[in-house]
Amino acid sequence: MIFQNHTIEFDPTNCVGCKMCYQACFIDVIQWDAENKRPVFKYMNECEHCNYCEVSCKKGCIKVIVNWESQRFIQSFDMYK
Amino acid sequence: MDKNNIQETRLSADILIVGGGIAGLTAAVAAKEKNPDAKVLVIEKQTAGYGGKANKGGGVLQWFDPQMKADDFLQYHTPAVACYLGNQNVTKKYIEMNNDMIERLDRWGVTIPKFKIPTGPMTFMVGIDLDNCLKMRNTAKKLGVEIVNKVTISDLLTDGDKIAGAVGYSIVDGTFYVVEAKTVILATGSQNYRIQPMWSCGRGDAIAAAYRAGAEMRNCEFGNFSQLYKKNTLQEWVFCENNMFNALGENVTQNFRRFPEADISATAIREWYEQMSMGKGPIHLVMEGRQGGLSAWDRPYGVPFWDADHGKAEGRDPELEMCPGFIGEQSPLNVDENMESTIKGLYGAGDVSYCGSGASGAVPAPPGRNRGSGILNAVYAGILAGEHSAEAVKEAEAPKACEGQIAKYKEEAFAPLFKEEGYRAIDLIDAVQKVVGPVEYSVYMSEYRINIALRKLEKAKAMVGNLKANDLHGVLECHEAEAMLLCAEMMFKAALMRKESRGWFLREDYPVMDNENWLKWIIVKNENGEMTLSTKDIPIDTYPVGLPRF
Repeated sequence: MIFQNHTIEFDPTNCVGCKMCYQACFIDVIQWDAENKRPVFKYMNECEHCNYCEVSCKKGCIKVIVNWESQRFIQSFDMYK
Repeated sequence: MDKNNIQETRLSADILIVGGGIAGLTAAVAAKEKNPDAKVLVIEKQTAGYGGKANKGGGVLQWFDPQMKADDFLQYHTPAVACYLGNQNVTKKYIEMNNDMIERLDRWGVTIPKFKIPTGPMTFMVGIDLDNCLKMRNTAKKLGVEIVNKVTISDLLTDGDKIAGAVGYSIVDGTFYVVEAKTVILATGSQNYRIQPMWSCGRGDAIAAAYRAGAEMRNCEFGNFSQLYKKNTLQEWVFCENNMFNALGENVTQNFRRFPEADISATAIREWYEQMSMGKGPIHLVMEGRQGGLSAWDRPYGVPFWDADHGKAEGRDPELEMCPGFIGEQSPLNVDENMESTIKGLYGAGDVSYCGSGASGAVPAPPGRNRGSGILNAVYAGILAGEHSAEAVKEAEAPKACEGQIAKYKEEAFAPLFKEEGYRAIDLIDAVQKVVGPVEYSVYMSEYRINIALRKLEKAKAMVGNLKANDLHGVLECHEAEAMLLCAEMMFKAALMRKESRGWFLREDYPVMDNENWLKWIIVKNENGEMTLSTKDIPIDTYPVGLPRF
């Protein structure tokens, strides 16, 4: 889906720069800031809320907040009304 | 990036595998086990082991009753699921390798709990944990397979009618990659148009690259997999089509399903469309008598992912309304029984070539109509492609990469980055999604609606070659958007040609299966830039199961 609007809450306090979240992202939403050893959640409007970054983070730094209403469903319901 | 100073890296391999999901990693491991001297290189667009769908699904494998004979299964499968459109030799070999494949997966470190529930006649599901690709990646590395991540392959290099390698670029720093290889195995999955979350990584770039290089496509019209979803959260709804009720409280499952059969069917989507068109919607699930509860599955790695996914959606669909969701699963690379395409040395494994191999007949790629068949099909095709290419490279000479091809592809790959202005990739993707998404265009078809779809695609074509990207992520998106348009065009053109209904393929204007005129595969091919369509008769007389005699 495109034009979604999910968000990520990232708390860097416990982040150890292990890159797990970056590697786990299967569609290039998360980029890697090599200098600061931190993830950059750069293309959030493409996030599919697979939750892999959140679950893969051993330090619990990431929370994916799903915006259910922003998911676009490509089916024309109106024509049936 | 400086247009005149793009970094370039040259690599060579005996076997280049494009895609680091379950099919690609299986091919890599199988090739190395068969020929340990072969240099095997896996190039993955994201990170091998995390890419693909095998680590994001329901964690299930199709499993055949070991007491069952492959011929018995074909007697059921050929009329009921494949609808005579399959290559029965491929289906039979797949069934016969079932236990061997599960043993191999065990040996390669992929744990498969021995617990099963029935999913259809003669088939069961067993669990497979979601770390399957990570386990395969570790096994591949131990065997000496090289892996390059964050590089996308954009085009294939050919030397006459043979494959010579591939080109692509790093999505991190823009380095242009030229890979010379004796054989190339495409394992990049199906075309899913970025519509449904789990399937979002299958964007058809390798299907498009193979098409541009002149490889034939088969069964493009079966690129319209869809299933029922919860309306609010768009979570897939396993087994809900057995209990569909309309607004009048009538059980509408009875209209299309009279006896137990494979669990996913396009006829459920058609029923939704017809009920809605009659004003009898919306359609709800009624829980009473619902079949198939999932419990007692020992997959500790996967449980936190499912908990996160389902937990966040919990309580958001109290009215249990269902609606159809288009997925896609177009997998048309035409391959023979060794998974080799019509370009010598170019193979397809997994969902890039599932329908193209004729493995399952008149259904889209797995799950097709049997849940859990996707991973094992990918393993099957990966083993065949890996082992066959491992033999082939022993004799093949080193390829000659054509510098003219390389220069052309390099310029085309980065063109969107250096455009002053142009359309955004997202505009083209949006246009394609609006055509393939509504199920009345893509699943329950008619000549009238297919022509609307084709006209809309024709309009969208004006954007091709005029896309602009701001960064490498955008360049990749442009490249994927063009592949989506191409795949949609193949699907609707082939669909217009097939004037019948067969298996998953439903035409409102030709509702009956026509074995007299349409026991044929439709072949789509690029001939000098023109999309040409032709047909090939199915050699039904050479297969174990023939047409009914009455």
